[in-house]
Amino acid sequence: MSRLLRRNSSQLRLLLSSGGQVTRLASSSSSSSSSGEVEPPTSTAQQEIRKPKRQTPPLVPDSEIKKSVFISQSSDVFTNLALEDWLYKNFDFSHHHVLLLWANDPCVVIGRHQNPFTEANVSRLVERGITLARRNSGGGAVYHDLGNLNCTFFSPRERYDRKYNLNIVTRALFREWAIKAEINDRDDIVVMDKKISGTAAKLGHPNSYHHCTILASANKLHLGESLVKEPANYISRATASVPSPIRNLVDVNRTVSVPQLRSAVGYEYLRTAATSLEDGGNTQTMKQRGFQLINPTEKWFPGIEELRSNYSSWDWVIGKTPKFTVQKDLDVKGDDQDMKLKLSVEVEAGLMKEIGIQLPQSDQLVPVVTPLQGKPYNEENLNGIVGALKLVSASNVKQAINGSA
Amino acid sequence: MTTKMAINAKDIFRNQHRLIRFIAQSIRLCSNQSLKAAQAAQQQQQQKSAADFQITASVDAQYTSAPEPVKHDKDLGHQFRASQLSVRLAAPEQLQPKPDNDGELGFGRLFTDHMLKIYYHKSLGGWQRPEITPLENLVMHPAAKVLHYAVELFEGMKAYRGVDGKIRIFRPDMNMNRMNLAAQRSGLPTFEGKEFVQCLSRLISIDSEWVPHTDTASLYIRPTLIGIDPTLGVASSDSALLYTILSPVGSYFKTGSSGAVSLLADPSYVRAWPGGVGNRKMGSNYAPTINVQKEAAARGLQQVLWLYGEDHQLTEVGTMNIFMFYVNDQGEQVLVTPPLSGLILPGITRDSILRMTRQWGKFKVSEATITMPMVCELLNQGRLLELFGAGTACVVSPVNRINYLGQDLYIPTMEQEKPVHELIRESLTDIQYGRVDHPWSVVID
Repeated sequence: MSRLLRRNSSQLRLLLSSGGQVTRLASSSSSSSSSGEVEPPTSTAQQEIRKPKRQTPPLVPDSEIKKSVFISQSSDVFTNLALEDWLYKNFDFSHHHVLLLWANDPCVVIGRHQNPFTEANVSRLVERGITLARRNSGGGAVYHDLGNLNCTFFSPRERYDRKYNLNIVTRALFREWAIKAEINDRDDIVVMDKKISGTAAKLGHPNSYHHCTILASANKLHLGESLVKEPANYISRATASVPSPIRNLVDVNRTVSVPQLRSAVGYEYLRTAATSLEDGGNTQTMKQRGFQLINPTEKWFPGIEELRSNYSSWDWVIGKTPKFTVQKDLDVKGDDQDMKLKLSVEVEAGLMKEIGIQLPQSDQLVPVVTPLQGKPYNEENLNGIVGALKLVSASNVKQAINGSA
Repeated sequence: MTTKMAINAKDIFRNQHRLIRFIAQSIRLCSNQSLKAAQAAQQQQQQKSAADFQITASVDAQYTSAPEPVKHDKDLGHQFRASQLSVRLAAPEQLQPKPDNDGELGFGRLFTDHMLKIYYHKSLGGWQRPEITPLENLVMHPAAKVLHYAVELFEGMKAYRGVDGKIRIFRPDMNMNRMNLAAQRSGLPTFEGKEFVQCLSRLISIDSEWVPHTDTASLYIRPTLIGIDPTLGVASSDSALLYTILSPVGSYFKTGSSGAVSLLADPSYVRAWPGGVGNRKMGSNYAPTINVQKEAAARGLQQVLWLYGEDHQLTEVGTMNIFMFYVNDQGEQVLVTPPLSGLILPGITRDSILRMTRQWGKFKVSEATITMPMVCELLNQGRLLELFGAGTACVVSPVNRINYLGQDLYIPTMEQEKPVHELIRESLTDIQYGRVDHPWSVVID
């Protein structure tokens, strides 16, 4: 029996209010932004169907909103990304705001529109058993391990408030450990001028989420080594990360640990009013739904396996890379002289589409025919092309070029 | 039209309800225009075909009677109110991890993170303030009455996650009434059912993530009332504790491959007797049945069929009420269940089935005594169609074999073409999971 993702009641509400023909709501929420930008225009496919005017549902009063803190039992980045996606697509947050806390085994997570090859040394990651993942929201690349806590704040679109969420974190840090943290213009949380958290968000209809990381005790050595790009020249229009100096909270206060951080941020979230930064103390906490452990398996969340296999597929992680060009210098030995050539490979959807050689004096690009064309771009295949070219002598190359000119 | 075509057409007509139901089931409740049209068409189809039943949202006044309000004792003291509820949430370290699959779940092995507790102390004026706390052990005096004289009663209800994601409970007012009647019989204090249901709703909303987001799982609710008076006298309890725990459930019975159960019918074991408390859900009724169940298991049978009297009346199956579907002397189809004579627990599933089938009006529904000789006679004449148990835990449980006085009787429950028990199960679960809007299914959130 096919398992369609069930519509939650708030999606039903929107569908009924807009009337007319609306296609699958889940896929229409295509916007993703890293700094609260306006939603990009709708895709062409939807423009064919007359899109009904979206009516914003009336704001739910503060007293009717109850909060929960969900703690994921899984440490697999693909499962957690799938859980985040499932909640975003299926949950009704209109009367129930949720904070999801999760931590992953060592991995590098890049933003939706990023190029993994410019952000990290992909082949070395594979060697070291560090997973590479691509999330659904925009922004830059981050390194995760179990010393890093991820917080995702879920709410309906009209209740999205990034400053509120970040303040919850800074307040929790102060209340628990008297750590003074500030929020800078890029919406990072900094402690003593060094970044301890990065932010990304996804705004859709009817739901939205804002997630951020908190570096408690991540392995800084691995972090530095993983976020180093492969040695080659990349020309790409993908979103580039803005590298910033980072710090672990444990460097500031030795007693900080991820379990305590979970508890501190969770309680701060529960004790604060839903729509304003007012602390309600224990009486406010008592009115909420509290903490819940979440087991993100098919049994508890039907449809999550499909989401997970999508996140872990090559087509998503590598295949969604925007088109880019790689240039590598080649030294071709000749009888009388060495020729310095530039190998240029154009990669589209992760596959090597056009491979050519650029001559040192001219701008001309001579196409190279190789069986490796159309194959996925990775270090092994690139070295294959380089190796094949190196076997060719300089005179042959000159002859071939002059002959074709 | 050739004979072959006629036969095929007859088959299609006979099974069209199944086809329609299958299609309806595989479309989730999306408010898509085409689905609405399909459902409207399906309802029209069902109205057209004479063989099908309809569920209407209105329950006929003739067959409805709200349970009588309970009369509290004069010196009971004051009642608790849901508005007085205080909550102590479990910290992240106190939470229980959720299991990976159904196999580990069983029935009643795993409990959720929170519980509801309400104390009663006559010396403190009556019912105290209700509180929700993390699931923890109870502490009581070794002379507490519940430990000596089984001064205890309990209830069984379920919370279902509907197709729209909202959680519903089924006819909670009936459970509250039943609980209060049992309290009166055990010398325990009575309470306001409405207030308790509100406290329960708060408890379930806190632990709502223990109900999976599928439409086949449920949360079992176990309210319990115990007498904790620390004195050995056999008298009413001046102190009591009303508490509730929740348990996520998979399937209740370990059944054979077909899903039907086999029963042991041994007249030497009696579960209830006239003038006793067979009609009250008290713990003391169940302890003596454990050994009998063990004997049934030893004989390779799954449940016990409780018989009573010289004529070997069928009273209950395991912990469920029993129903029989047969053809009577006039050639009419009859659904029968034993009457509430004092030996039978007034099950809520039982009551729901009776009301629903009477409303359908497709076959005769009666409450009358069933005896084993009657069962054997009907079986011999091929007039016994179905035999099944009905209870909250599994809705309906079909029976395919009874071991009676050393003989195996095979009941053709699973061999019927359009089994009534399947229809009943589907109708009830449709209401419970919110696929059909019905006043019996109360949304709590």
